[in-house]
Amino acid sequence: MADQPTAFERFVQGILPENPVYRQLLGLCPTLAVSNGMKPALTMACSVAFVLLCANVVTSLIRNLLKPHLRIVVFTLTIATFVTIADRFLAAYLFQMSKTLGPYIPLIIVNCLIICRCEVCASKQSVFTAASDALGQALGFGLALSSIATVREIFGTGMFFGIRLLPSAWPDWVIMVLPPGAFITLGLLLGLVNWIGIVKSRRSVND
Amino acid sequence: MESSIKNTNLFQAWLVLLLATVFGTTLAGVQTKLGPVIEANKINETMEKIPTLTLGEAQAEKMTEQGNALVIEPRLIEISKNGIKKFYTVYDAYYKDGTRAGFVAKASGQGYADKIELLLGLDADASTITGLFILDQKETPGLGNKVIEKHWRDQFLNQSSDKGLVVVKGKSEGSHEIGAVSGATISSKSVTGIVNRTIADIKHQLILPPVSENDKIKENK
Amino acid sequence: MAPSPHILNTANTTQRMMKDVLIGLLPIICMSVWLFRAYAVKQLIICTLACLISEFLFVRMRGRSASLGDCSAVVTGIILALSLPGSAPWFVGVIASMIAMGIGKIIFGGLGMNIFNPAMVGRAFVMIAFAQLMGASAYENMTGLADAVSGATPLSALKFSGSAIKISELFWGVTNGSLGETSAFACLVGGLFIVLRKTASWQIPLSIILTVTGIAGITDIAGSHSGEFLFHHLFGGALMFGAFFIATDPVTSPLTAKGKWYFGFGTGVLIMVIRLFSGYPEGVMFAILLMNAVTPLINRWTTPLPMGEA
Repeated sequence: MADQPTAFERFVQGILPENPVYRQLLGLCPTLAVSNGMKPALTMACSVAFVLLCANVVTSLIRNLLKPHLRIVVFTLTIATFVTIADRFLAAYLFQMSKTLGPYIPLIIVNCLIICRCEVCASKQSVFTAASDALGQALGFGLALSSIATVREIFGTGMFFGIRLLPSAWPDWVIMVLPPGAFITLGLLLGLVNWIGIVKSRRSVND
Repeated sequence: MESSIKNTNLFQAWLVLLLATVFGTTLAGVQTKLGPVIEANKINETMEKIPTLTLGEAQAEKMTEQGNALVIEPRLIEISKNGIKKFYTVYDAYYKDGTRAGFVAKASGQGYADKIELLLGLDADASTITGLFILDQKETPGLGNKVIEKHWRDQFLNQSSDKGLVVVKGKSEGSHEIGAVSGATISSKSVTGIVNRTIADIKHQLILPPVSENDKIKENK
Repeated sequence: MAPSPHILNTANTTQRMMKDVLIGLLPIICMSVWLFRAYAVKQLIICTLACLISEFLFVRMRGRSASLGDCSAVVTGIILALSLPGSAPWFVGVIASMIAMGIGKIIFGGLGMNIFNPAMVGRAFVMIAFAQLMGASAYENMTGLADAVSGATPLSALKFSGSAIKISELFWGVTNGSLGETSAFACLVGGLFIVLRKTASWQIPLSIILTVTGIAGITDIAGSHSGEFLFHHLFGGALMFGAFFIATDPVTSPLTAKGKWYFGFGTGVLIMVIRLFSGYPEGVMFAILLMNAVTPLINRWTTPLPMGEA
């Protein structure tokens, strides 16, 4: 498989060129649901990173034993296990945060980002490549989540990480911490990313 | 012959079965290790609030400073209303010498957006509200969720439990009146409604079976 | 999404229509300025200016030539201002205008391409974002105005405390409310003008009002309110203003006559459902936005197929 990207390429691609949220539009459920503040967003990003890394490594280890028609079952089994572990850990050591995130930690199981990485990378490449791919994608996911959460938390509450940033005269845009704010913010940021992409490609053509 | 064995479903799924076993064992291990911690978290969340809810903040702090703690015993109260059975978890709080400090009841009901879960503190003869704490709610941020703020909840303090509380617009002016959170009349009414209903449901049962019931529970343990 | 046939694609026709709407809005503007004085003037200036500036900026950002000449931004600004409470601070009007123009209109490709009524998109945004400045309490906190216009709006008074006011006051509009919604009389005069000029369709307002009359009438009789309930729901809220000036927006309402009846019926039902069963006392805005969303579907059902295709 000479044409498969190397570990380093995988890592770099995950962060911006193939950003899970802005480029692949994967894992939008947590992106929309828990991005109303930086704290829940980062907790979610860390949980996803943990699950993604473990699932990718395990899948890569057993990649030669996989039967094509049974691979999805194996992926799901692996992912569900690590999600449950993450969920239990949060409930035990970050109880309040786990209550805030509610069902969204268990819902990582159906986060298509993870199954996509298992399928695209981990089931075909070595453990090292799979791990660096997981790290790159997790970083990209975390970046996307925190960029949305930054906008929403600052506009919606005037705070950042729960610390007051704007003067208290700031009228909280309550809509930004509600679900509609998630859709609007994601839409506008997606537009911005695409716009930057177009401008960049135009420049490179002109050069 | 060999190929027929290889083609059976069971043989093909050996990896799935093996992984399921390994993962299942891992999860069982995690659960045995973390399960008690999680349970303790859940109980603590309620238990921590009980001294403040029955004695008030100042006195509860004083007791902790003196190194005293309340003895807290949970029990279930069963209510049958219109043929439907309902259960309330009630925590009896006693001082060390055995005199009763008060009750805390856990109750829930429909709010504007979703279920509201709260803890209601009553004094030793269940005649006065001594505290209110919202455990869980999903009311509108900025409006309805202001019911969790202390200065709103404090309106319930020292209200008598002999008749229902009424929600009024603006500031409450007398006893039995709760001023609605402005712009969130429904959330305010929901919380007040849950409080009224809980008191009506369990008040007569709180005092009646004082010693005998508790002893039974202790014996059963 | 095809542009409506009402708008022939010449700026000229659009401009004529928009001028008609502006003339139709005049009685309402006069009424609100008379009733709310400086509050109304301030809100009208802020929203109109903000709409014009945002239209100019957003159209520029898309690299198109400016389209201010068709007057549609002015109409959106005035309708938006008239749908706000007078007490709303300046930034509410500005943000609502920017959202109305940017997310409500230009992002879809400009006039004729938008799915939702721009003014209502802007209003819905600030309604949810600044619930405290926009909701029932906004009207009660207005001080320094005549007694008649400092209390709760007629509909929220009826909903939350069961108190009613005189029907004549409701009809002439000496009550509290959003700037343009108080006077049913002014809305009827302006509305009839744009209907007679064929700038707005007659089917939509008629079917909305008939549906609301039907539902409110039945509720009235069932609860024996002797007409009080019915007239509060007819003249009390934004019903007249919404039925004539917002629901009839040719871009966001169905094309065919049959579709317009469906649209009006659906809007009327939704208005009453929101008024009677939700936490909000008024539902015209959300009802119209919801029906805007199904307009393409109504168009598909009711547009007759050309001969030979079926």
